[in-house]
Amino acid sequence: MAILEEPIKGIVEVKNYIDGEWVGSKGEIQDVVNPVNGKVIAKVPISTKEEIDAAVEAGKAAFPDWRRTPPAARARCLFRLKELLEANFEELSRVQTQEHGKTIDESRGETRRGIENVEVACGIPTLMQGYNSEDIASGIDEYLIPTPLGVFGIIGPFNFPFMIPLWSAPYAVAAGNCIVIKPSSEVPLSQMKIAELVDEAGFPPGVWNVVNGGRTVVNRMLDHPDIEGITFVGSTPTAKNVIYPRCGATGKRVIAQGGASNFMVIMPDCSMRATIPALMTSFFGNAGQRCLAGQNVIVVGDDDHFYKEFVKGVVDTARKIIIGNGLDEEVQMGPVRDAEKKKKILSYISSGIKEGAKIILDGRSDFRIKGDYPDTCFLGATIMEYVRPEMKIVTEEIFGPTMGIIRVKTLDEAIKTCDDNPFHNADAIFTSSGRTAREFKYRVKSGNVGINIGIVAPMAFFPFSGMRDSFFGILHTQGKEAIRFFTESKVVIERWP
Amino acid sequence: MQLNTSASVISFSKQLEADSAAFYQKMAEKYPKGAELFLAFSRENSKYTVMIQRAYYGVITDAIEGCFAFSVETDKYTFEREPAKGLGYTDALNQAIDMEQKLVSFYTDAAEQSEAFMADVPRTFLIVARKRKDRKDKLGTLLKET
Repeated sequence: MAILEEPIKGIVEVKNYIDGEWVGSKGEIQDVVNPVNGKVIAKVPISTKEEIDAAVEAGKAAFPDWRRTPPAARARCLFRLKELLEANFEELSRVQTQEHGKTIDESRGETRRGIENVEVACGIPTLMQGYNSEDIASGIDEYLIPTPLGVFGIIGPFNFPFMIPLWSAPYAVAAGNCIVIKPSSEVPLSQMKIAELVDEAGFPPGVWNVVNGGRTVVNRMLDHPDIEGITFVGSTPTAKNVIYPRCGATGKRVIAQGGASNFMVIMPDCSMRATIPALMTSFFGNAGQRCLAGQNVIVVGDDDHFYKEFVKGVVDTARKIIIGNGLDEEVQMGPVRDAEKKKKILSYISSGIKEGAKIILDGRSDFRIKGDYPDTCFLGATIMEYVRPEMKIVTEEIFGPTMGIIRVKTLDEAIKTCDDNPFHNADAIFTSSGRTAREFKYRVKSGNVGINIGIVAPMAFFPFSGMRDSFFGILHTQGKEAIRFFTESKVVIERWP
Repeated sequence: MQLNTSASVISFSKQLEADSAAFYQKMAEKYPKGAELFLAFSRENSKYTVMIQRAYYGVITDAIEGCFAFSVETDKYTFEREPAKGLGYTDALNQAIDMEQKLVSFYTDAAEQSEAFMADVPRTFLIVARKRKDRKDKLGTLLKET
């Protein structure tokens, strides 16, 4: 089977998209490298304070007219964007694979998930309706009008360069706000491509802006008096120690989604046939670089026969994973994003071994790359047994293709292990018992709960939840909660004497 | 060759449809008495490809087992792109029936494997499998008439 054609040829010069124009930057320029082969595919600017200021100014200037544009007319811009995204679906997907390294199935999945958010935001005329009460006192009526606020900042991570900014952007603009997106400087091409389509879709200048960069841009977004709120997806230390407190200090509303260390609880009555592929996707999909990835399985019960059979099934399947260039349609796992991230994952594996875990599939060395590619960013699937909840490979986020196996005797112990962990992003149970599943979903303190689902990714019309060290804020991205986040509840009490 | 990913299986189905379309075009050229039906079959194949692609692109998400959904051994389902040289009409019809049986098996197996993961994809595979079965029956009728 042939390797799909790369859409990015040569080296793309990434620019900022401000006030409907593509503008160069005075900041330093960084390379964007394809992790599969180490080739430079783009040059991205690390924009200056003045450049982010210009984007916010453009948003601020565009806001009054955009706000007055009827929701149905704003929705029409989104409908056009949706059509353009569909028309360019394959190219957009391949760009993600090139800049990130994920497989083409994963990229297409990401594109579909991103587009779904645009589709949901197209319903803004009804999503944004308020409510009213007649005669709260004699002759007095009261009603609520959701109103847009102004300019919002959207800070994206490296692991889903296309989809994650779309958890926020379509809702923000649909509600009548203007936005400035800062993509990860490691993977800026997807947001550049989306902005090209935004331009074609006919959004007024200044409504949708993209400014590339790093800390300077983020710091300025956090401090800027004309930015009303921030959505952020990234690591917990940044979400908890930087984004959340700084937004509090400057009076901004905030959605700060952090990291995770998710558990997949395996009951002895689960369907092994369905569970193992689900675990492969959960732990090794996207090379483990997602906040919904499983990090550890908890096998419940003292049935040694089941345990051995389960571990054998998981190891045998993981060993066969085809690793290579994501544009090769046969490949099941691509590289991790860069050598630094690989180094960090390796250090976690070493730490696990040092703390007493036993490695039963060694992804550090026991893998083969399909095709002639350097192993700079590649890792195989790693599986470790005898993992304990207090180990670093459980209490910290690894963000790589690793699976730890913990054994407990009861469901109570399994739930306690989930709940004692500092993160509470997504936990799942695999069972054929409705009673067990209900008990788990009722008691586990997790933002996203899966039942026989390895990746608990909420659809666009549900909020992307998260708790404790995985989420800082109140409202979440996606769906109705995003609309609430991007609007203020204006309450009117009215009397006509 | 074994295919495990959704992308590779969808591409494989596209290839099978193209090969089978090429086969019927050759049949139409070689055996004018069945040409109308063979050309209709050939045209239908592109419709099936569109149906399958549409189903796949519509449901593929990062949250399902897209890279671990299948275990398709391609060798079981491949066939010649044209009737063997020097073949009489009856033998060519038999070759077409064998090809359709392979395609029915492919789509049925692929539907079963992806049932838990891919929502609309297995349903579409089964629709195409049914259409292929109908074709096989039509070819069988032609065979009886010869």
